[in-house]
Amino acid sequence: MSWSLPRAWVHPVGPGGVSRLLGMVVLALGAAGLVLAPFVGEAMFTRIWGIEPLTYVGAALVILGLAVTTLSYFVSELLRSRRQAADEETRFAERWTQVTQQYFDLFNHDLGRPLRRILGKEREIREQLQAMGAEVPPSVRELLDEIEEQTPSFRLMMSNMQVLIELETPITGKNLHAVEPVEVVRRIVDRYSLVAADASKQIVWWSEPTDFGIVYSDSSAIEHIVTNLVDNTVRYAESFAEIGLTRDENNFHIRVWDDGPGIAARYLPYLFDRGWTPEVARHEERTTSGLGLFIAHTLAKRYGGDLTVESITDPDPDHHTCFTVTLPLHTRPGRSSGEPVA
Amino acid sequence: MPDSKILIIDDEWESAIVKAVQRRLQDEGWQTIIVQPQSQWLVGDEFEDATIYAIEDERPDGVLLDVRLGEHRDDQFKGLEILRQIVEHYPTLPVLMFTQYAQGPARDTAVRGALRWNAPVDFIDKLASPEEVVLRLRRLMGSSPELIPIGAHLLVDVGAETVSARRERDAVLAPVTDIHGMKFEIFRELAAAWYRSPGELVPFSRLERYSEGEEARASLRVRIREIKISIGRALGVQLGANDLIVNVRDRGYRLAPPQM
Ligand SMILES: Nc1ncnc2c1ncn2[C@@H]1O[C@H](COP(=O)(O)OP(=O)(O)O)[C@@H](O)[C@H]1O
Ligand SMILES: [Mg+2]
Repeated sequence: MSWSLPRAWVHPVGPGGVSRLLGMVVLALGAAGLVLAPFVGEAMFTRIWGIEPLTYVGAALVILGLAVTTLSYFVSELLRSRRQAADEETRFAERWTQVTQQYFDLFNHDLGRPLRRILGKEREIREQLQAMGAEVPPSVRELLDEIEEQTPSFRLMMSNMQVLIELETPITGKNLHAVEPVEVVRRIVDRYSLVAADASKQIVWWSEPTDFGIVYSDSSAIEHIVTNLVDNTVRYAESFAEIGLTRDENNFHIRVWDDGPGIAARYLPYLFDRGWTPEVARHEERTTSGLGLFIAHTLAKRYGGDLTVESITDPDPDHHTCFTVTLPLHTRPGRSSGEPVA
Repeated sequence: MPDSKILIIDDEWESAIVKAVQRRLQDEGWQTIIVQPQSQWLVGDEFEDATIYAIEDERPDGVLLDVRLGEHRDDQFKGLEILRQIVEHYPTLPVLMFTQYAQGPARDTAVRGALRWNAPVDFIDKLASPEEVVLRLRRLMGSSPELIPIGAHLLVDVGAETVSARRERDAVLAPVTDIHGMKFEIFRELAAAWYRSPGELVPFSRLERYSEGEEARASLRVRIREIKISIGRALGVQLGANDLIVNVRDRGYRLAPPQM
């Protein structure tokens, strides 16, 4: 005769499985007792108690076995449905993110249209002024520059909104792929160097080693974190901003430094809070969203890294602000699971 | 590289934004060719074929391609389909995709995941300045070109190992005679870094390879001063501390094109 035990019995998974197995063993013992009672019982016990205790013992064991088996079945069912509900919740959250993301894309395109038009016209005016060959008054040029300077911040605002939607999802996998951090930094500098130059600020970057190579990380996360830091730096720098890229055995670091007025030490503990700006601390009306550093910090943590700040404030001649992003240097591609974000 | 040919595939090519990019590419000395769909509303399958034919005919050095061609829903990601075809037929042709801004580095990477990791394909949003587009194309088409023009008055010829310059009133560039050997190598490093990324600083450690002796830093400083004097003389201008080659916070040097 060949038969095999059901999988769940052989490999009881979790508490439900273990107790069910126990129930089965007790049930089998009880049944064996009942079957054996007439023979064994008569021989051994009739003369002592006049009844067959093994019958009662067997019956009790059968009832107990049945109870344990049934109970364990219900308990495991209950656990399963709970798990299903949790899965459903995650699915719902993902779906919600998806739908929000779709709406966002829609607005994104529509909002972009007038902005592209404005920018196009501004660039056309520049061309025509140049073609006319006349001396353009500096004030006119400054007005045009001002329009152009709004774009990087606008682009950042839109992508910040998008990342915020993503961060709302309780669990998201992190997608690690080959990234050239040097190229990520180059792009950000490409974008902001015009704005910096118009404000007579210098923005430079370097990497050590110069052939920095490839890391396994998420390029859009890195770009997002660093863009937020550079956007601030270009705004607050007095005349100079510097981005430095370094690596050690386990991590790579991106340091964003500026010679601006610095951030007061009493503000530093709140700097990465959602929606915090110094105006909030001073009970004034907030003029910016205060989301950039929150997003940058959350993303860095989510990728197993960190974002730290060091600053010396104005009266000191060495006043500056320096943010450092540290991210793990995965050496081969992989997917690590994300941890929930509050 | 001067004399490059760029194919622009975009239905909005008449828009001021695309025009500004086109003009900037022409300023770079690049030839631009525009391929556009017949109708703004529906971009048929024929358009995909048309773009492949255009590439075959024109043999461009790079392609600028719009992700969203036309306003019809079906065409929303038509550009990606065209990209797939280009990559299939011309795997080494550099392609820069124009995306809606912020539409998603995430989405771009999803697309990129389907490409070989080193495919010469890149994504840029439509709000990017023409300057950004040029820089991105430069790097995509090869970041160490044979000829590096620095503004209209200086040219580095990597193959011939010469630096040429012209004064404001001169019509043609003439070689700067005393920049060769180590001095040329130093200037080439600085020019190449500036060409691929204007803010890039070349650390002392890298430049000191072109200096000998115990005092590498000091000899580097002397060489840089000599380069500035030679080029300044050829340009007919006095180059100050913040002109042409700038020492940045004792970390390295970077190139700053002379304002003329
Ligand atoms: N480099 C910096 N120098 C000085 N202050 C800074 C710097 N970066 C950030 N801050 C301060 O931190 C605040 C929060 O920054 P952030 O989270 O990016 O939000 P937002 O840019 O919308 O104000 C800013 O309002 C500013 O006061
Ligand atoms: Mg900010």
